[in-house]
Formats: sequence, C-alpha cells, structure tokens
Amino acid sequence: MATTTLAPRARPYTSTRARAYEWLTTTDHKKIGVMYMASAFLFFLIGGVYALLIRAELAVPGIQFLEFETYNQLFTLHGTVMIFLFVMPMWTGLANYIVPLQVGAADMAFPRINALSYWMIPVAGLMLFSGYAFGGAANAGWTGYAPLSVRENIGIDLWVGSLVLLGTSSILGAINFIATIFKMRAPGLTLMRMPLFVWNTLVTSVLLLFAVPVLTAGFVMLFIDRNYGGGFFDPALGGNPILWQHIFWFFGHPEVYILILPAFGVVSEILPVFSRKPLFGYKAFVFATASIGALGFSVWAHHMFATGAVYLPFFSFFTFLIAVPTGIKFFNWLATMWGGQLRLSTPMLFAIGFIALFLIGGLDGAFLAVVPFDFHVHDTYWVVSHIHYVLVAGAVFGIFAALYYWWPKITGRMLDERLGKVQWVLLFVGTNVAFFPQHILGLDGMIRRIIDYAPNPGWTELNFLSTIGAFMVGISMLPFMWNVFITQRKPATAGDDPWDANTLEWATTSPPPTYNFEALPPVRSERPLFDLKYGAVEPHAAAVPAARGESHEETRADAPEEFLGEPVEGHEDPDVPGARTTPQVSEHAPDATPREERPKREGGDPAPPTEGRS
Amino acid sequence: MAVLLVGLLTLIAGCAPAGAEGQAFPGFFAPPAASAEGQAIDSLYFYVFLIAVAVFLTVEGLLLWIVFRYRRRPRVDGLPPQTHGHNLLEIVWTAIPAAIVTMLFVATIDTLAFVEELDPKPQGVIIDVVGFQWQWTFNYPEEGLSFTGAGAEGPVMAVPVGERVRIRLEATDVIHSFYVPMFRYKLDVVPGRVNEFDIVVEEPGTYTGQCAEFCGLLHAEMYFTVEAMSRADYDAWVTEQQQQPEPTPGGSPPPDAATVEVTSVGVVEGYEPSELSVPADTPWLVDLTNSDQFAPHDFAIRGGNPDGSDWQGDPNADPGQQVIYEPPPLAAGQYEFYCSLHPNMVGTLRVGE
Repeated sequence: MATTTLAPRARPYTSTRARAYEWLTTTDHKKIGVMYMASAFLFFLIGGVYALLIRAELAVPGIQFLEFETYNQLFTLHGTVMIFLFVMPMWTGLANYIVPLQVGAADMAFPRINALSYWMIPVAGLMLFSGYAFGGAANAGWTGYAPLSVRENIGIDLWVGSLVLLGTSSILGAINFIATIFKMRAPGLTLMRMPLFVWNTLVTSVLLLFAVPVLTAGFVMLFIDRNYGGGFFDPALGGNPILWQHIFWFFGHPEVYILILPAFGVVSEILPVFSRKPLFGYKAFVFATASIGALGFSVWAHHMFATGAVYLPFFSFFTFLIAVPTGIKFFNWLATMWGGQLRLSTPMLFAIGFIALFLIGGLDGAFLAVVPFDFHVHDTYWVVSHIHYVLVAGAVFGIFAALYYWWPKITGRMLDERLGKVQWVLLFVGTNVAFFPQHILGLDGMIRRIIDYAPNPGWTELNFLSTIGAFMVGISMLPFMWNVFITQRKPATAGDDPWDANTLEWATTSPPPTYNFEALPPVRSERPLFDLKYGAVEPHAAAVPAARGESHEETRADAPEEFLGEPVEGHEDPDVPGARTTPQVSEHAPDATPREERPKREGGDPAPPTEGRS
Repeated sequence: MAVLLVGLLTLIAGCAPAGAEGQAFPGFFAPPAASAEGQAIDSLYFYVFLIAVAVFLTVEGLLLWIVFRYRRRPRVDGLPPQTHGHNLLEIVWTAIPAAIVTMLFVATIDTLAFVEELDPKPQGVIIDVVGFQWQWTFNYPEEGLSFTGAGAEGPVMAVPVGERVRIRLEATDVIHSFYVPMFRYKLDVVPGRVNEFDIVVEEPGTYTGQCAEFCGLLHAEMYFTVEAMSRADYDAWVTEQQQQPEPTPGGSPPPDAATVEVTSVGVVEGYEPSELSVPADTPWLVDLTNSDQFAPHDFAIRGGNPDGSDWQGDPNADPGQQVIYEPPPLAAGQYEFYCSLHPNMVGTLRVGE
C-alpha cells in the first residue's frame, strides 16, 4: 500500500542517458546514499579478493605464488581499502539514506556538499590503485609507520593523496550529518527521542571531526618528509619516528569506533523491532555511546605499548574502562530481547550474530589492555584475529543486518529470506573458522604481515583452517549478490512498513519520494510509528510532566490510515491489523505539532494518538 | 533456529583447547615461558583467560537462552510487555564490569612493574642489539664480540640462564621489534632511540626470535636465535668466540688482478651497476663501496666456490665503508651475485671468455 502519492515530475527521466545524467548530478541524499553503498560494496569485493589472495598464500608454509613485494602491497591495500573505501563509505551511505528519513528531514543540510563528499571517493579509489601503474602500490602497511613509509615506493605518495581526499570527504560528511541532526529534526523529535542509529551517526560524526584532521596533518607531514626533505619523522634530522604513531593512533583508535558505532546503532534499531519491545535502557545506550566516543580519544597509545615510549598505566586504565560502556550495551541488548517475541528474520539473525561474535572481539580486546600480555601478542595474529572479530563480526555483520533491514525501504523489495539465511550461516561459520584459529597462532607467536611462517607444530593446520574460513566468508557473498539480482527483477511489493517498525523512515513510501515525506506523524517518543500504530502502551521517559487531558479510547483501527504499514502478501507477518483486541487507553494532551505537520486524516478526531504529554 | 544453534556450537567447539602437551599442537596455553618475566605474564594471562571465559559463557548462554525462550511462537497475540528500562539493573551491570576491570587493572600494574623492572646498575651480561633491514647485529661490548646475521639464519645470541641480562635495542633505518615468543616479550627497536629491558632466562634451550614490526620487503625473514646456557657453558662460549680470528679484508691483492668496482646503494635500490663482467679463470677483486647510510652489505656469488656452493665475502661493509674482497677465479659463464644480508639485492656477473 503505497500511500504517499508521488508527485509527478515535470519531465520524467526516461532514456538511459537521462537517467545516468540524473544520477551523476543528483543532490538527493537517497541517490547519493545508494551510490556510496554501491561503490563501497565494489571496494569490499576488491578488498575481499585481496584477503583471499593473502590467505591462499598463507594456507601452507613456504612461498607459493606471491612475491614479497606483491604480498606487502596486498596487505597494505587490503587494510586501506576495507577501512577507508568499504566500511566508512558503507556507513556514510547508509546514514546518508537513513538519517534524514529517521529525523523526518527532506534531505541533508548541505545537499551539494553531500554530492561533493561522495564524488571524492571514486577519485580517491582510483588514486590509491594507480600506484600499480607508477611502479608499485603502497607497501608500508595500512598504518604506514614512519620512517619505513618515508623510504618506500611512490605508491605511498598516491596512498597519502588518496587518504587526504577520503579524509576531506569524511570531514565534509561529518559536518553535514551534524548539521542535519541538530537542525533538521521533525517537530517533537527531541534529542532523547532520536533513533539510536541517528545517535550513533552523530557520535561517529563528532569523532570524525576531531580525529580526521589530525590524521590529515600527519599525512601532510609525511608527504613533506618524502618529497621536500622534511625531517618530522627522521631521527637523523632531529625528528621522531614515534611521533607518527602518536598522530596515526590519535586518529586510529577513534577510527575503530567510527567503524563500529554505526553497527551498534543498527543493532539497537533492529532488536526492538524484531523483539516487538522498546529498546531497554534508551538513555543508557545514549550515554554509553557518548562515553565510548569520549574514551576513544584517551586510549590511542595502547597500540604503542611495545614502543617503550608511552606511559603504560594511563593507557591501560582507559582501555579497560571502555569495557564498561560496551558491557552496558551488551546487557541492554539482551534485556531488550528478554521477554519479547523474537522474529528471527534475516536482519535479526545478523544482529544476533553481531552480539554473539562481537563479544569475542570485545573480550580479546580486553586482553590487549593487559599490558604485559600485550607485550607478547602485540603484532601477532592475536591482533589480526581481534581486529577481524571487531570489523568482520562487528562491522560486516552490522552492515548486512542494516542492508537486509533497510533493503525494502531503499528498493521497495524484500530480499529473499532463505538466501539471506544461507548467507548468514556461511558468514557466521566462516568468520569463526577464519579468525578463531588466529588467536591460537598469535598465542604461539606467529607474527603478522609475513608472507611465510615456520612450519611449527600446528601452524600449518591452523593456517589452513583459517584459509578455509576466509574462503567461506568469500563464498557467503555469492548468495547475497544472487539475492540482490533476483530481488531486483521482482515487483516492488514490500510496502511502507514490512517489518512493523518503529521509526519515521517507515512512515513514507518504499522507496520514498524525492522530498521524503508528504506528512509526518507526531513524535512523542523514540518510537513515533509504533505509537501511531498501537497507541502509546505505557509512559515513555517523560521530558515534561504529563499534562492531564481528557482520556479517550483508542484502538489500532483508530490510527491514521496513512501511516499503517500493511503486511505484504506472502511475507510472514502475523501482525495483521485488528489482531489486537484490547483497546488501548491513552491520555490525550495538547499537541505541539504544527498543524501542517500532522498526518492528514480522513475526517473525525484530528488528535493523533499520544501518550499523554508533549 | 537450528541454524543458530549449529553456528554457536561451532563457535563453542572452536574454543576448546586443541591440545595440551609440550611441543604438540598449540592451544590456549602455550608451552611454559622460558623467562621469569614470561612466567609472570603467563600466570596473569591465566586469570584474565578465566574471567574472559566466564563472561563469554554468561553472555552467550544468556543470548542462546533468550533466543530459544522468547522466539516468537505461532498464535501469540498482542504485544509483549513494553519494558523501557530498569535503573537498578543499569547500575548493577555498570558496577560489576567496572569492578572486574579495576581488578584486572591492579593485577596488570602489579605484573607490569615486575616485567618492566630495570636494574639501575646492570651487573651481568649486556647485549647491544642493532636492527637493520633485514638483519640483526648482536654486540657484546664487555666481551668485545659482535655477530651480524646473514641469510635467513640470523645471528645467535648466547645468554647465561638464571641471571639478569640487559638488552639494549637500537635501529639504524626503520622500526623493528625484538620478539622472542618463549619469553612472551617484545620491545620495539626504534631508530634514534635506545630501548632497553632486563630479562632472566630460566630454562636453558634454543629459542627462535623474529622481528615483529613490519619493516619492509624481507620483514618475514628477519629471524634470530637465542641460546640460553649455564654460566659455565656461557663462559666457554665467550672464550671460544674471542679466540676466533678476526676476518681481515683481503690483505694485499695480487697487483695484476682485475678489479671491479660496485656500490651497494640501498636495500631497495640494490647494487650499482647491477651487471659486472670479469675475465674467466683469473684472480680478480671486488671493490665494494657501501653508500647506503643505514645498512651493512656484503658481496656473495651464487655457486661461486669451486665445490659449487655460494661464495661469501667477509667482512660486511658498514654504511659508508669500502671493502675489497677476493673471490676465487671463476669459470666462464653467467653468475648471480647478491648481498647475503639482503638476498633481494641481486645482480648479474658475466665471466667472460
């Protein structure tokens, strides 16, 4: 039931050429979001092939089919591409699409800057890979430690240029998100009613705004050292190689949260919807997110415990401390599901997989805060395992949860559930088979970034197992791509609100019109659409003391027609309208929503369902 | 649902220690550390591991139980109770993790103090380690010994057991890291900075070490070996090494010998020129100038000895140094010459008719 009528275009785009022109020149946050996601997925495939090449080489001891130099370039680009060209743009793209919808805005605050931020990405990607045409891609690792990165090949100049460009894109994007979230929220959508994905995008943007300029400054210094005889990082000229690590990790640790916080947001969106309960401890989530963001700036040197140049207890303490807000999130997620009615659809499975596996990434991260133990496993496969439990089990599971969840909103079509579950199983098992053995390799002293390893007892078996797992992760992308392919050939029948969701993006058509909303439902809690469909079931955290008004009975049937999601035919959603028989009693209060913003209703009582306060 | 179960079972199965005996298949508990510091780290690891397993089982168990217990069943109408939060619970699950991490932090600081303890006046053996792309030099300043590794073998560091040994680390070019897994310890080797640590090796034995910080092309092959031995064995070893003759540069070469000049420019750039030609079956000399400002180099010829093995020039040319080598006369043909410290530096040697 597409209920919001699409305004007819003055000149509809029909020909392929006109459509290409439309996409290339668009400032629509939704089209830009889709382009972000599409290019991110492309880079994900490239980075994934690189990972498989690395794992294939490491399957057995000895050097099989790669050379030292090729291998060093592979792992450098694998890290750079996955972090800067896959996960970051993927989250930016999702947030681009979803955040304006979730805050009830018509677009981002600065649509043209938004387009500019996007178009820097393909340019930066080309620049990164163009190293191959100029005598070798970057080969100093994604961390580019000086002075190695000062001395290595020309690819590093292009790598620096590419990352400066990507950093600029991120800074512009962050400013855009902050402006959108602070200035363009729908009436009634107070900060403490914002969906958690918006909160996490906000904190991520703030982190980007503080961290990326530092990194960019570092890159400029590196470029000067490389090309203009600077000596920032060269001890012979009075510089200090450790300085690079301070700069890099001052960015690099918040970067980890930049990559993972949006996944926290996605999980916090999906769990309530598929448990049919509100998020447990909304405020705790907000404070935990903010404190993870703040603490993220006080732990950078835990990547430098083995340099002998940092004050260890300080950074150890703050690293431990991060476990506390992260733990709060875990327990609140569990409490959200507790007592619910869990629908185990694909987005929910990915969210549960995220919780199950990210826990491992969190726990082995806590080991790394134990400084003496970090002396042992720093720069070993333990760290490789840790970062992949955080970024594959965390970010990638979060990304697929988000894609399966919002796919019907973005395309109007439901992805196939069965193929989705096949992908989930492959990815879940593959992730563990690939990365769990790496813990043991790290404990046994296998260092990272090596093309070859000694055939110590067990190393061959564990590495071979890890390679099998990596290929499972690779294969798990095939059902997804097939799923996307067959889904695009089906009619767009998902409807506005196929998941019976809570937030504003589901109150418009799928896909939404260019201007997003014809009318907005009133926002009285962090679940405006839920309130609309079910009435306010019980008081939410009150911003203002309840105003007593006349009470009236309200049933689901009373809810405004426009905003009722309709179950899709064939889609298993037992939540048909009218299933609820108990009338909900709620209190009516004066409505602060401007008249024009209210949903248009077919006569009758103009008062929208409220929970008793404004 | 079953799928989730299978997945989680795989996960839990993956956690089981895969083997326990000594040199057998590695598991969650590596063979006992060989140094006093390493043993302290091992016991700290054991407690952290127990806590982590407890947290892991609690959370995964809860998650599994919740997914089973509260999965949506058919013909259940209405919404579940809409609970929004519980302040007491929030306080509980803030306080408990905070208490656990505080405990861990205290244990960490305690072990850290022991591991990092430095003798203000080192009494025993002092070893200066110099890391360069992609080899190590171990200097024993008191004993006047110096060893530079070549090829994939790397140098050997002998240490007495049961004594505090001071190891001082410095790099000439890029950052390396001195890592011996059986000591559970690594410390970065940084250019322009001297890092030092004390270690007490408890168990005699041979322990492999490796550079742990990515340092360029042949990082994967930057190995070394630590031999821990009793004090008596160590003293004998020192005497034996001190009596070995110093390798001297070629002496006075025959005046009629042909001399080829070659410069080692750097570990990435290689030799200049990279093609040399010499007459066959006559004595000849190599005049090697090392213009690399960071790493030592030498000159070796693959299959250059009469018995077909590789001929290797001795000693190394340190940065800025010039060394003259006297390789054996070669039969006509084409040979490969290389640097035994940096096997990636190669060139072609044509031995003429």
